Amino acid sequence: MLIGDVFSLMSEQKDFFINLTLEHLQISLIAIVFAIIVGLILGIIVSEYQRNKWILSIINFVYTIPSIALFGFLIPFTGIGDISAIIALIVYALLPMVRGTHSGIVNIDKNIIEAAKGMGSTKFQILYKIKLPLALPHIMSSIRTMVVMTIALTGIAAFIGAGGLGVAIYRGITTNNIVMTLAGSILIAALAIIVDFLLSQIEKLTKYDEPHRRFLHKYNLINKKTVIGVLLIIICILAANQFLTTSEENTINIATKPMTEQYIIGAMLEELIESESDLNVDLTTGVGGGTSNIQPGMLKGDFDLYPEYTGTGWMEVLKEDGIYNESLFNDLQSKYNDEYDFSWVGMYGFDDTYGIAVTKEVADKYNLSTYSDLASVSNELKFGAEYDFYEREDGYDALCEEYGFNFKSTTDLDIGLKYNAIKENKIDVMNVFTTDGQLNDPNIVVLKDDKEFYPSYLCANVVRNEVLEEHPELKNILLKLEGAISAEDMSRMNYEVEIEKKEPKDVAHEFLVLKGLV
Amino acid sequence: MSVAIEFKNINKSFDEKKVINNFNLEIDKGDFITIIGSSGSGKTTILKMINALIKPDNGQVIVNGEDVSKIDVVDLRRNIGYAIQGNVLFPHLSVKDNIAYVPKLLNKNNSEKSEEAVKKWMKIVNLEEELLERMPYELSGGQSQRVGIARSLAASPDILLMDEPFGAVDAITRLKLQEEIKRIHNETKITIVFITHDINEALILGDKVLIINEGQIEQYGPPLEIKNNPSTDYVKRIIGNV
Ligand SMILES: Nc1ncnc2c1ncn2[C@@H]1O[C@H](COP(=O)(O)OP(=O)(O)OP(=O)(O)O)[C@@H](O)[C@H]1O
Ligand SMILES: [Mg+2]
Repeated sequence: MLIGDVFSLMSEQKDFFINLTLEHLQISLIAIVFAIIVGLILGIIVSEYQRNKWILSIINFVYTIPSIALFGFLIPFTGIGDISAIIALIVYALLPMVRGTHSGIVNIDKNIIEAAKGMGSTKFQILYKIKLPLALPHIMSSIRTMVVMTIALTGIAAFIGAGGLGVAIYRGITTNNIVMTLAGSILIAALAIIVDFLLSQIEKLTKYDEPHRRFLHKYNLINKKTVIGVLLIIICILAANQFLTTSEENTINIATKPMTEQYIIGAMLEELIESESDLNVDLTTGVGGGTSNIQPGMLKGDFDLYPEYTGTGWMEVLKEDGIYNESLFNDLQSKYNDEYDFSWVGMYGFDDTYGIAVTKEVADKYNLSTYSDLASVSNELKFGAEYDFYEREDGYDALCEEYGFNFKSTTDLDIGLKYNAIKENKIDVMNVFTTDGQLNDPNIVVLKDDKEFYPSYLCANVVRNEVLEEHPELKNILLKLEGAISAEDMSRMNYEVEIEKKEPKDVAHEFLVLKGLV
Repeated sequence: MSVAIEFKNINKSFDEKKVINNFNLEIDKGDFITIIGSSGSGKTTILKMINALIKPDNGQVIVNGEDVSKIDVVDLRRNIGYAIQGNVLFPHLSVKDNIAYVPKLLNKNNSEKSEEAVKKWMKIVNLEEELLERMPYELSGGQSQRVGIARSLAASPDILLMDEPFGAVDAITRLKLQEEIKRIHNETKITIVFITHDINEALILGDKVLIINEGQIEQYGPPLEIKNNPSTDYVKRIIGNV
């Protein structure tokens, strides 16, 4: 049973989930506190001075920006991580706050306000003695909506490398681990429900036509001192937390992309660096958007190193034209050095590129080992790939033209079904990624791209030179993994995580032990 | 006898419509003035000029010898009690805090003094002390009106403005409240300006009755004079059924 799996995962990895939950609460809470303060102030300004209505329009507009787009927009300014996430959360939380405060204030009976004025209250006294308390129930229910929304939205923050339960969801999605995704989602929902319940109790207390109020009143529980006191305590806790978690001098910040193999490599780097040196590793796993968000983070100095693929560096980062092959590596290295002051250090040894695979049976029957071998018998074989492969510019048509393939038939298949189809002999040939976990199967053979049609995507670390200079020991540690991981190794480890549901950390550790590195 | 409130050549229009037309009036200190007139005749407008909630287009309103347009309105208002139509207690404050509202504005740090004032005025308006901690929604209509009166008097103002304060209560409660306000007036000798729609109430309570129509004075004098010598047809019609 799925739910059973979820709970056993949670209890197995209690610390992991408790940590994420605390992080989640912390990020949400910071955003909520700021949103309440700023939202109240803006809400008051908008309602007290009609000419400030435009503030409401701006906030309305910002609210319609999709969250992913807003995150993307913030990254160049505030970088990857908690800060961007918190800012984005505050921005979203402002709308319900400002609207709630505004409508709470403007809907107060005009006669009551006139009475207060006629008795000699100043504008400020009317605001804090009459308007705010009367608007409070309305404001409280906006706060409640906003808090629940923020807790849910914090789940998306993992996309830009912030912590919280979104990390579990995102990791589950990228490593094909639905139980992990569910566990994260269930915890977020539980948090939201619990907090909503607590706030609904507090909301009752703010209603002045219910008996609770008199109780509070009698013991004078709602007054300036308690409110300021509670706020101060929250701020102190948050501040203390921030100080305690600020990164130290000797911390290496490592980012990884949202791909199973990168979670594994990240874990390897963490273990290896921490056991071989005095350095601490702060690992930000599965940064959403991959290279396009990690590269800016590297440039800002938020990250010190990350595993990257040579072909990606050449085409996506340097934006060079043409197919990358390893004869261009020196160019790649010097361009990175000149343009970014980064180095490529420690080639892991595997190439994560596009490939073509056939069953062992077919390979043996026709004696196939390269794409050219395949070309001569392609008219007898059935080809399968995901829809997307037939559409891409460097996809099916280009491949056929280069090698002169002429398959008996072609089929569109969902990426998850491809491997089943070939095992059941519904297709004979399919496209793959060379480190796919499911390639870890003796019955499937990957052929060699003998004309180098596909770019090379060797995996290595991109490291900031400044960090290499500051910590000279780092380079040698990274070089320990040079040539250590073959495509078969990587595919097997991916298989262990994606199919056998092992933890990336455990898989990484076993591998290091096997290689005698720890 | 000195003058508490004086209107000099007051004019007031709302959106081009003349509401108050060359209005002149003197109210003596310690007098209980009742104002009566048909709906929309400008009664509330006149009353609100006394505590500067409405400013005249031209002319002067003089309170205790000072032109209200030249003094600090907040101070002015704190020395003028204000009780208005309908139930406008502050719904988020207990009876005690409603009554103590103005005293607290005045002596911010002296809660004992405010508390004393609250108890004194609760007694004067005949409210049992056990109501002290109640919230407005837990009061009857008559109790609310009493709290409203106590609130308007709690800072011991020397002028009290009341705009149809007994509009929303039943006839019996109304009679009681009338007796009480009369008694309070006799005890405190403050100046009271009291708007009503009820000619009987106006004649019973007022030392002087002011009858206005379309922003102008029809007649201003003691109840007997009004009854015996109605000066215009409008006045006759108003007292016609007494
Ligand atoms: N703020 C305002 N804006 C526009 N017109 C107003 C305003 N206040 C009062 N008026 C108009 O001025 C006139 C006098 O109003 P006022 O409130 O003084 O009447 P009133 O004698 O107190 O009537 P009622 O017995 O119904 O309370 C009315 O025609 C009213 O519509
Ligand atoms: Mg009126």
